[in-house]
Amino acid sequence: MRFIASDGLPRLLERLREDGAEVWAPRVVRDTLNTVLFSPWSEGDEIETGAYSTLSAKQLVLPATERLFAYRYRLTAEGEKIEIEAAGPGMHAGETVVFGARACDAKALGVLDALFLSTPGQSYNDPHYRTRRAGLTVITLACTTCDSACFCSSFGAGPAETAGSDLILYPVGGGYLAEGFSDRGRELAALDIFEDSSQEKPALAETAVLELAGLEQKLLDIFDDLDFWRGATEQCLSCGYCTYACPTCHCFNIFDEMQGDRDGERCRSWDACMFYTYTLETSGHNPRPEIAHRYRNRMGHKFSYYPANQGEILCTGCGRCIRGCPAGVDIREVLKAAAARPATPGGALQQETES
Amino acid sequence: MSTIPKKGINATTPLVPEPATVVAVIQETPAIRTYRLVFDDPALMAAFMFAPGQIGLISIFGAGESTFAISSPPSQKDYIQFSVMRTGAVTSAIHELAEGDRVALRAPLGCAFPVDSWKEKDVIIAGGGIGMAPLRSLLMHLLDNRGDFGRIQAFYGARTPADLCYAEDRAAWEARADVDFIAAIDAAHPDWSGRVGLLPGVLEEEQPPAAGAVAVICGPPVMIKFTLQSLERLGFGDQQIFTTLERRMKCGIGLCGRCNVGPKYVCTDGPVFTLDELRRLPAEL
Ligand SMILES: Cc1cc2nc3c(=O)[nH]c(=O)nc-3n(C[C@H](O)[C@H](O)[C@H](O)COP(=O)(O)OP(=O)(O)OC[C@H]3O[C@@H](n4cnc5c(N)ncnc54)[C@H](O)[C@@H]3O)c2cc1C
Ligand code: SF4
Ligand code: SF4
Ligand code: FES
Repeated sequence: MRFIASDGLPRLLERLREDGAEVWAPRVVRDTLNTVLFSPWSEGDEIETGAYSTLSAKQLVLPATERLFAYRYRLTAEGEKIEIEAAGPGMHAGETVVFGARACDAKALGVLDALFLSTPGQSYNDPHYRTRRAGLTVITLACTTCDSACFCSSFGAGPAETAGSDLILYPVGGGYLAEGFSDRGRELAALDIFEDSSQEKPALAETAVLELAGLEQKLLDIFDDLDFWRGATEQCLSCGYCTYACPTCHCFNIFDEMQGDRDGERCRSWDACMFYTYTLETSGHNPRPEIAHRYRNRMGHKFSYYPANQGEILCTGCGRCIRGCPAGVDIREVLKAAAARPATPGGALQQETES
Repeated sequence: MSTIPKKGINATTPLVPEPATVVAVIQETPAIRTYRLVFDDPALMAAFMFAPGQIGLISIFGAGESTFAISSPPSQKDYIQFSVMRTGAVTSAIHELAEGDRVALRAPLGCAFPVDSWKEKDVIIAGGGIGMAPLRSLLMHLLDNRGDFGRIQAFYGARTPADLCYAEDRAAWEARADVDFIAAIDAAHPDWSGRVGLLPGVLEEEQPPAAGAVAVICGPPVMIKFTLQSLERLGFGDQQIFTTLERRMKCGIGLCGRCNVGPKYVCTDGPVFTLDELRRLPAEL
């Protein structure tokens, strides 16, 4: 095992910065009470290693808003033409190091990879995402404690999850034990800022565990039980916070930003399936007019459709949607209630995969 | 569903459209205009391949991007045709376009009708309103490969004579002996000497045999609903019936999450689905 002393951490991050990487770390946002955000870090900046970040680190691969391309109208010998210039990844295109991600944040990146880096030819993988992801180094801080909203132990290894992490730091007396889980991570652990250590890894947190077996099918079985979904969303305001805070929610909108009369840029930005207008059509028809319909789709996407299509559950149990919901909606209660339904063998999805 | 190489899409930057020029505008009905587009890059145009049922996204910069069925057949190499009904922001901006105007296009996207698996079969086509757009592409493709199929019957319904698109094509189809083409309007009209009646009724009068046949229907939801009932009465099974779904779309490539019906994405798994596939999807249309 390698070890890094607490005061060695800033030196490690500063070294990475000197080598040309952007470094991001959880930091308390000034003038707010408890908001912790992954923010650009430079020497001297305080890092929050206790409280969980309010928003996830997904912005480093999927920025909240980004340019896709610029369009310009140009007068040429053949009359007016449109020039289109692809934007390239722009933000976080080089090496970016995110320090202080948790196991659930790191795992979420792998869950997103299943869609955004899927095999070319089977579906499109996203060039901006691909570039950013390739340049991202994730230094994870292992959780030895958790809070009442955490439920990552419901998914695989929970706090001991290593997927998505390049280097994991385990808090021990005076500093952190360090273990690399990728070439980049092992390369970092070999740096002289680290030293060899014979200390034992600390015991990791144990969060609440939900029984999720069979959920993929059960959510389809209760699809038409609108009373269930109306009950689950009685308090929901359809504000969309849960989707923005979530490390795995990835829906995006596409829109044009005009610059001058006709030229401009096409951009994409985070969107939220909880909004009424998300599926609203020009005719006034809306396939998901009620909050219950939209929440049903959100749960279906996370625990049934994405697992069926991408082989991963679109949730890592990070608890952000629970901590931040202004109306007190708790995804775990909905999951528990859904999982408590009796299983019906041979439901729709099952039949399809069999045929 | 047959997947066609997505030649028009720049695979390295799939959300970036290619500049294209309007080479013809046809006023079909008061609310529908047909646009013929050509990619500005001749190499792209030469390599353009698609199959009936596939879609394109037309960008009018500043207004946005909207999804339309390709209404020309694959054999038409001179242009890519779309028929656009004026409804909201993007479609209104498209209706401002004149010959020579520049737009941008992402095409082809989505899955096509599995025409290759229909060899030797009878094909029944029923289109209502703007739903005839993908079916024009399909019908012309079937006629281009006429020997591959059995009897072809095509039905096209609209509210009034003025709401029927594709006047020239209709005349040509009516004149051909190797396709039974019937256009029908909802109620008797002084300008109309042809068939009168709603499509489901017309279909039942014609009684196309279900054995060894496939039926393809596109149109407004009510038309689809009642036509499906007619086809069922005629003995068509769920796997013999094909239709297309509409959902709001943004990315068109299965990433943005906008167009799902349960686990299926209209942009990549559709827009073409069999009735059998639709029945297995969660009821959220
Ligand atoms: C697979 C498919 C094929 C289609 N084929 C045709 C066609 O051949 N001809 C034709 O005229 N129309 C077609 N449509 C419908 C067409 O896409 C919408 O009418 C159009 O997007 C409305 O855009 P707007 O900006 O004018 O309206 P607004 O109300 O201003 O649109 C706002 C946004 O809503 C979305 N939207 C609204 N209504 C629809 C809808 N019914 N379907 C999908 N998205 C919608 C679009 O993303 C649009 O950008 C098709 C739709 C789909 C999904
Ligand atoms: S954060 Fe809470 S109130 Fe807002 S959309 Fe999500 S569940 Fe509803
Ligand atoms: S759904 Fe909630 S608990 Fe699950 S990953 Fe998203 S924010 Fe975290
Ligand atoms: S339009 Fe984006 S997923 Fe289908």
